[in-house]
Amino acid sequence: MEYFIAQIVNGLAQGSIYALMAIGYSVVVGVVGLVTFTHGEVIMLGAYASYYAFTFVGENIFLGIIAAFFASWFIGIFVYKICYERFFDSPRHISLICTIGMSMLLKNLAQIVFGPNMKAMPQPIALNFVNVLGVRINTIQILIIFVVLSLSLGLYIVNNKTQWGIRLRAVSQDKQASALMGINVRRTAMIGNSIGCSLGGVAGMLIAIYYQSILPTMGGSLGLKAFSSAVLGGLTEASASALGGLLIGLIENLGTSVLSNSYRDVFAFIFLVLVLIIKPEGFSKKVGG
Amino acid sequence: MKKTFTVLTAILLVLVLLAGCGSPAPEEPADPADNGATGDAETYKFAVLAPITGNYAEYGKGFEVATQMAADEINDAGGIDGVMIELEVFDSQGEPTESADISRRVVEDDEILAVIGDFSSSNAMANAPILGDGGLVQLSPTASHPDYAGMNEYMFSIMGRQDSEAPFFSTHLLQRFKQAEAVGVIYINNDWGESAHANLTRQAEIDGLNIVAEENYVEGERDFNSLLTKVRSTNPDTLALIMHANDVALVANQIAQMDWDVDITALGPGTSMQIIELAGENVEGLLLSTPFHITEENEEAWAWAEEFRSRANFEPTVHPAVAYDTVYLLKAAIENIDGEVTRDAIRQELQDLEGFVGLTGPITFNEAGDITRLYLIMRIEDGRFVQETDFDYIDQ
Amino acid sequence: MRTDEMRNDIPKTSFWRRQMSGVRDFGKGIFDKIKAIYEKRKLQINLIIILLLLVFPYLARSNYIMGIACRMLMYSVLAGSLNVINGYSGQFNIGHAGFFLIGAYTEAIFATQFGISFWPLLAVSGAFAAIVGFLISLPTLRLRGIYLAIVTLGFSEILRVIALNWSSVTGGAMGIKSIPSPTFFGMTISNSSNYYYIFLFIAILFLAVTGRVLKSRVGRAWISIREDEAAARSLGVETRFYKSINFMYGAFWAGVAGAAFAPYYRFIASDMFTLDEGFNILSMVIIGGQGTLVGPLVGSIIVNLITEVFRFAARYRMVVYATLIIVMMWWRPQGLVGAYDSVFAIKKSQRKPVRMASAKEAGEE
Repeated sequence: MEYFIAQIVNGLAQGSIYALMAIGYSVVVGVVGLVTFTHGEVIMLGAYASYYAFTFVGENIFLGIIAAFFASWFIGIFVYKICYERFFDSPRHISLICTIGMSMLLKNLAQIVFGPNMKAMPQPIALNFVNVLGVRINTIQILIIFVVLSLSLGLYIVNNKTQWGIRLRAVSQDKQASALMGINVRRTAMIGNSIGCSLGGVAGMLIAIYYQSILPTMGGSLGLKAFSSAVLGGLTEASASALGGLLIGLIENLGTSVLSNSYRDVFAFIFLVLVLIIKPEGFSKKVGG
Repeated sequence: MKKTFTVLTAILLVLVLLAGCGSPAPEEPADPADNGATGDAETYKFAVLAPITGNYAEYGKGFEVATQMAADEINDAGGIDGVMIELEVFDSQGEPTESADISRRVVEDDEILAVIGDFSSSNAMANAPILGDGGLVQLSPTASHPDYAGMNEYMFSIMGRQDSEAPFFSTHLLQRFKQAEAVGVIYINNDWGESAHANLTRQAEIDGLNIVAEENYVEGERDFNSLLTKVRSTNPDTLALIMHANDVALVANQIAQMDWDVDITALGPGTSMQIIELAGENVEGLLLSTPFHITEENEEAWAWAEEFRSRANFEPTVHPAVAYDTVYLLKAAIENIDGEVTRDAIRQELQDLEGFVGLTGPITFNEAGDITRLYLIMRIEDGRFVQETDFDYIDQ
Repeated sequence: MRTDEMRNDIPKTSFWRRQMSGVRDFGKGIFDKIKAIYEKRKLQINLIIILLLLVFPYLARSNYIMGIACRMLMYSVLAGSLNVINGYSGQFNIGHAGFFLIGAYTEAIFATQFGISFWPLLAVSGAFAAIVGFLISLPTLRLRGIYLAIVTLGFSEILRVIALNWSSVTGGAMGIKSIPSPTFFGMTISNSSNYYYIFLFIAILFLAVTGRVLKSRVGRAWISIREDEAAARSLGVETRFYKSINFMYGAFWAGVAGAAFAPYYRFIASDMFTLDEGFNILSMVIIGGQGTLVGPLVGSIIVNLITEVFRFAARYRMVVYATLIIVMMWWRPQGLVGAYDSVFAIKKSQRKPVRMASAKEAGEE
């Protein structure tokens, strides 16, 4: 029993990182209306931004969050200008290929600029252990869950209590109607895209801290996980996507504990396929869009 | 409609005719020997196949830097009997299709005398038939598939066969030296890891070593928490990690994050400073087997590592060290050639080479074209590698 | 959901606009001329092209060049078969590497374990891939757009991980080696100059058969589903049946390509069939021009040529390639030959500029 509780904690820690990536992903897809394969590279660049902040400025967790957040924000603008802005009216496979190209571009540039080797990630908080309700967890796991929760809360407040958020939601629900209502759709989409990317960038920092390492090719599989989680959540709904991320983290870890670790990705995908067969729109309450 | 069919039948007819007439002109040369370059070339040119871009770029860069280092050293010392070495680096991206295309290209480039690489076994094995037909040596530093070198007489590997390292690891490191009582094995699920794991467990069964868990993972995995939790539930006192430097560091870090007190041993990473850089005090006390060591005591290797670091900007692992040796191996082979330096003569002399001692230890090829190495046991202490046993430990 | 308003928002840097449209018109003019000439002397031109292709190895006299030609032909079948799914029925498959894997492993396993000859295995491997395609299409018929895409991607990865772990059948991490080369009337076909004819045969067969299928009732049904699935259904098209058939047809040819691939390299392992491979095939389809028969062929030639030509760029090569993909999408989003309809494809009366509006909408739900 203790064993399964330990595995569930592993799953929750990993799942909450997936959740943050998936929230970012769903915000992007929501406002832009186009899927992206660049999210993994945005995550990686966010992690590198915080790595350099830790190395050259100081090992402060808030500094890392700020560095990751703003670096990904600007990368988000770049990606938006190149991959989305021109293609709102085009068939979606075009921007999809554009994001695949962009992902290759960023990954290869990162290998050239940062060096292709794995680097040790500075640890801004000390490793300690606490007992929570009889379960032993470490401070890094607490940090992850705390950051994920506060960023999600922040997003919730922005979405529901500010003018900005209302515009964002309007655009992600119906661009045509929003434009008719006088909302600057392109600007809103660009900001929304950057918000999504920034969440991804912070997730990248957390991942690098959690695994204590950083690598230019780390983005590929993470981007796919974010994508899968967001699809589970119906692609555009942040909270449902977060749930999707948590579930994928749990399924992976529990699956690993029963079968071999080599099948890790298979568990996630089989779960995804099953959910989509039963409920083609994922967990989203919304039907159609 | 009918036209298309007429055309199709016509094509088929022509095809049959063509095929019947015999194969087209650019067949492989009947005798590979007369395809080689001549000895009066101004330089000896070798092709280096490495994943310069893609997911293995880290290893590709190590290859590129290490082979160039060796070539520069040789050229600075006057080349091979006054003839300079030239390396041409090709990016195989870690993809067999790319690598095979490059192989066809270098076979037809008469200037190229031998191929160094490719990094992964998949690539090296996809190249084997092409290079074999073309009569060109493929000297791979790292291809570790047990069947690779035997594919044809032109294939060589100096990674060291796992049917010697893994049994050594089991009998001497785990059982004799470490006196492990319950071992949990974690191995990478690729040809090398699979082969090392099979050899280790076979030997453990013979020796009566108690293995309580065997788990594998796919290349590129970063989260070992659930896997470790699983292994932990079987209560091993020692973990045997069959994986490369980066993964050893990741695992060691995650063991520390779990607050798990277990002894770690590693097969594969060698004395790479990268482990210590990535995992710091989490790898204190780690035991590993290695054919050679890069420590301050081993001056030659230490100087080599310094130079590598300054060129590549990261710590060397085993891979660049073996890549470095391949250039010297080719040099030694060419020096032994009496007459004309041809592709075939290089193959012959590599096969017959005796008494070669490189950075990574003595290298003598067996009939298949790979080598059996001897191993040391090293321990990490205060952030440094310390030698625990010598090569004669197996005889004691 | 259409967002026509948003197009008006796009800033018009008029200079670049003019340049771009100039380039576009230039391309269009050339393509139109080529097309007109082709239409006039279809049979002669086809024969000349085929003859040239047949004697090509004698002209090139290089295994290296023929190796690249082989790769182009193989990928043109892969890209073409993906195009049948994505371009003609408007479904969205991005995990084509999975079918490729099935074909390659089927050939390799039957050839090494049971010693069956290459030629029947071409069809058998195709059939296996088609069966897998059918199985995948069953649960996915309800899914559209990006949901279908992620499921195909998932299946491709699932197949690869199974191939990696199912050691007793697939050789696991060790892969399958010593796959016998095909023989043709006692002659072993091993080097790329000879193997070229196998790939050429498969590519021509694929183009000829697919051209006919697209003209048939089945092909028209696919296109009607692509244009408007609901309308097609209301007109009595059995959309589920035809979508399933479509998946099977595409998978079949990917399987055939895989079967030709395995003995060509004589060694296969699961790491040859990663998701990147699937993305690579997808890029060729879109760069060439989705929904046209020659598009994927052109895409395959261009992509393979670019990666080969830019070899001198060393570690910047993939940067260059990635940039070119993006530039291509800016310059000719409809693909290189996407501006006019395929010369092989559908009846004249049905020709129209390729629009993927329905496919787009399908994904946007």
